[in-house]
Amino acid sequence: MKTALFARPLPRDKADTLLLLGSAVLVLAPHTAHLPLWVSLLCAATLLWRGFITLRGKRMPSAMVLLPIAAGAMAGVQFSYNTLLGRDAGVAMLVLLVAFKMLEMHARRDLYVVIFLCFFLVLTNFFYAQGIGTALLMVVAVLALLTTQISFQFTGAVPSLKARLALGGRMLLFAAPIAVALFFIFPRLGGPLWSMPGSGGGSGGKSGLSERMAPGQMSNLAMSDEPAFRVRFDGAVPDKAQLYWRGLVLDAFDGAAWTRGGSLPAGGNVDLRVRGEAVRYELTLEPSDTRWLFTLDMPGHLPEIDGYRSQVSHQLELTSDRPLEQRVRYAMTSYPEYTLDGDTALADPSQWLLLPYGYNPKALAAGLALRKLANPVERVNAVLRQFREQQYNYTLEPPLLGRHSVDEFLYRTRSGFCEHYSGAFVFLMRAAGIPARVVTGYQGGETNPLDGFVTVRQSDAHAWAEVWVAGRGWVRVDPTAAVAPERVRRNLAAAVERPAPFGIDALRGLSLFQAGEDSLLVKLRNALGAVNNGWNQWVLNYTPERQAGLMQSLQSTLADWRFAAVASSAALLLLLARIFYRRRETDPVEAVYSVLCKRLAHLHLDLARAPDEGPTAYAARIAASQQLAPPSREAAVEFLRRYSAWRYAPPQPESSARLAATLKSLLSQLR
Amino acid sequence: MAVAGRAGFRGWLRRSTGKWLPRRGALDAGEIVLSQRRVFILPTRAGIGFAVLLLVLLIGSVNYQLGLGFALSFLALSCGLVDMVFTYRNLAHLALQQGRMPQVFAGQEAQFELHLTNRSKLARYAVWIDFDGIKEPRHAVDVKAGGTAAVLLAVPTTNRGWLQPARVVLSTRFPLGLYRAWSYWRPAARALVYPKPEEGAPPLPMSGNAAGSGRLGGNDDFAGVRSYQAGDSPRQLAWRQIARLDPELGGQLVTKHFEGATGDELVLDFATLPAYLDVELRLSRMTRWVLDAEQRALPYAFRLGALRYDAANGVAHQAACLQALALYGMEAA
Repeated sequence: MKTALFARPLPRDKADTLLLLGSAVLVLAPHTAHLPLWVSLLCAATLLWRGFITLRGKRMPSAMVLLPIAAGAMAGVQFSYNTLLGRDAGVAMLVLLVAFKMLEMHARRDLYVVIFLCFFLVLTNFFYAQGIGTALLMVVAVLALLTTQISFQFTGAVPSLKARLALGGRMLLFAAPIAVALFFIFPRLGGPLWSMPGSGGGSGGKSGLSERMAPGQMSNLAMSDEPAFRVRFDGAVPDKAQLYWRGLVLDAFDGAAWTRGGSLPAGGNVDLRVRGEAVRYELTLEPSDTRWLFTLDMPGHLPEIDGYRSQVSHQLELTSDRPLEQRVRYAMTSYPEYTLDGDTALADPSQWLLLPYGYNPKALAAGLALRKLANPVERVNAVLRQFREQQYNYTLEPPLLGRHSVDEFLYRTRSGFCEHYSGAFVFLMRAAGIPARVVTGYQGGETNPLDGFVTVRQSDAHAWAEVWVAGRGWVRVDPTAAVAPERVRRNLAAAVERPAPFGIDALRGLSLFQAGEDSLLVKLRNALGAVNNGWNQWVLNYTPERQAGLMQSLQSTLADWRFAAVASSAALLLLLARIFYRRRETDPVEAVYSVLCKRLAHLHLDLARAPDEGPTAYAARIAASQQLAPPSREAAVEFLRRYSAWRYAPPQPESSARLAATLKSLLSQLR
Repeated sequence: MAVAGRAGFRGWLRRSTGKWLPRRGALDAGEIVLSQRRVFILPTRAGIGFAVLLLVLLIGSVNYQLGLGFALSFLALSCGLVDMVFTYRNLAHLALQQGRMPQVFAGQEAQFELHLTNRSKLARYAVWIDFDGIKEPRHAVDVKAGGTAAVLLAVPTTNRGWLQPARVVLSTRFPLGLYRAWSYWRPAARALVYPKPEEGAPPLPMSGNAAGSGRLGGNDDFAGVRSYQAGDSPRQLAWRQIARLDPELGGQLVTKHFEGATGDELVLDFATLPAYLDVELRLSRMTRWVLDAEQRALPYAFRLGALRYDAANGVAHQAACLQALALYGMEAA
């Protein structure tokens, strides 16, 4: 049956409907990634039904059949999303609407409705994905929709699908430069037009850093390569060992986990004095569902982000007033040299000295023993020396720890990663009577040589410590650096020996991270990163500020005399090319003919060719005329005879150029 | 209300676009190329819907800060702009020329022939053509690159005389249907509508005897044969001579030739028709007689008012007589 159906070309309307179905599938397919399964299945079933109706020439279902199904689908959306109005529920409703509308298409108007709805569905897909792949898919979908729309317009013979696709492609090709120009020039408004109702259901954000640090409760640190943020420095990238991206401060320890004590104050009072050279940079933060803003130690001011309000806590943590669900970009100035709370005494040091009762007795004793060193700096160095000189081991797969986690880590397992070291270090410091706290954030980053951006990934997450020393304020101490200096100087991959693929040692060299800095894989990764970053910077996060910058540089370019000279000469060249092209387009014989007619009209008004006069009739009139000298007359008549023979004869080998030469010589005899 | 408003707008548009035409009121004689000044373009209802869609896309992109959304909005917008150019190009620079002039009898349809020539390298699709004022155009043509197409536009006729066709609208919505480009063409050539031949008219007014007998009245003196000429009645063929000559040996059709006596000729005289009859009916009867006489190959003289044609026969004579009948009592035009 099927072969019989396709044996001969489909009737035109059926082919068009199938094309429309195909385009709709192309538009709807990406949505299946986030839609409930039943919605996807219902849509697929509806489209298949429509295809069946088309192929077999069945009648469309009546409204009596469709209405209950539509009502049921609405109830299903309400059940799945608990609302009909949210963003995600709205998208699900639209998807179902397009599918059902296919079964209810009667007039040409309905076709436009379906195509326009499809355009909108292409947009709604961007709620969930905005990568380069999505953009390519968008172009393909628009091409399919255009081709469908074109196909419905033909009245006579319909060109092949390939020809129609070519026409659609040509339209897109012409449209692309205008679209790019509009994209960059069209004035951008910052911020949403109205407050968006909660995205309802699945949040698109990714969790960033955790606000809870429990060394020993996690046996395997996931090494996610997801970028956390990207930074572009004005000037040289500072030494990697200086790149401490400050995030949260964990000051409360309950025996098992370090957490933030208390809520964030709306406006903290920070006593920060900066000096030395400033580091200026611009940071693009990937979306997440947290509020943390990361800056290089120590930020000189609050970040200014369009649409958000930033604030600082008394422990110098930067946050925004609401979750950073969009990608944001902010310009910052940081000072590597600073004094934080540099007074002689802390107002309330007990907050950073508290230790839970009944935990880690050995570590507590060791810390108390440190108190015999008079100088706090010596106490710090003693612990760091302990980490460095004894058999401590940096690993991302440490053994699990029990109730006295610090004791077990310090005296038994002696292996762990930054969380273990910073946690144990702060514990010892507090026991030794030095105010101390854990700071988490990111450390390091990967410089992409192609575009100069530094990418900081989730795998660069780090925890370090701050101790307060009278007169010097809070001093950053990174105990992990004492154990695994590579972790800080280079990156995590360098500090940790990765397991060989499949446990086979010989394959170790294949591992991406083991590859040398100049290997093809690293270059490829850099190139991909640069493309992706360019995409984020220029397409996804093209803000009003960025636009203003672009316009300014554009203005200064346009005002430059060199640009004006180049542009005007290019325009002149184009004009000349066009004139030349036009001249070549007219046939040389026709050109000579029109010259002859003009010259005859010029010689005598009565000899002008009437608009409806053919060359033969014209020749006869000229032959009978008395206004011309006989030789001229004969030349003109001969000219017209030859022209007429050429013009009205079937196509012949004599090239029009050669005939034009003959005619020109005849023309020259005309006086 | 909205519909009425739109109709009003359409009507205003139709009236006013004519005014912008070059040489307002002038007719388009000879070949006409649809230049930029002759092609009008406006969005269709679908185009307005598309504009609304663009607005929605843009608002969605702004509100949700969708970078790709902006890209899609502007891509769709640019496609709309490109479609405007494509729609214009689908109609512009077509060359129009009027074809043969129709000659019909009142009551028949006059068919105006319109030739479209596409000298560009761009194939034209779905160009709708019909007279102005007709709601749904009846003809759609495609013109290939470098090709031609012809359309026959039919106009019903009721009265005799010159028929000046209404202006012709050429319109297209190709390729996306978001715009309608249109142009006007006012054919210069007119159709000549002859009076309607009377049905059940009295027989030809033969003078003398044997009127309407079917014999060749007034042609009694056989004067030999001559070679056949187009238009000769089959009854006049000299079958005996034809049969004697084998066509293979150069035989041909020959026609009997008669020297008619002048007193016996057929005269169609308008003045002899009863005056109580309506003028149109008399013209109608004259038309019928001209056709009958021509059909029977009877030479006939023709009198209409001051106009006098001597007895003759053939296409040119018939055309002259019919034209005189068609234009009787009208201003010379």
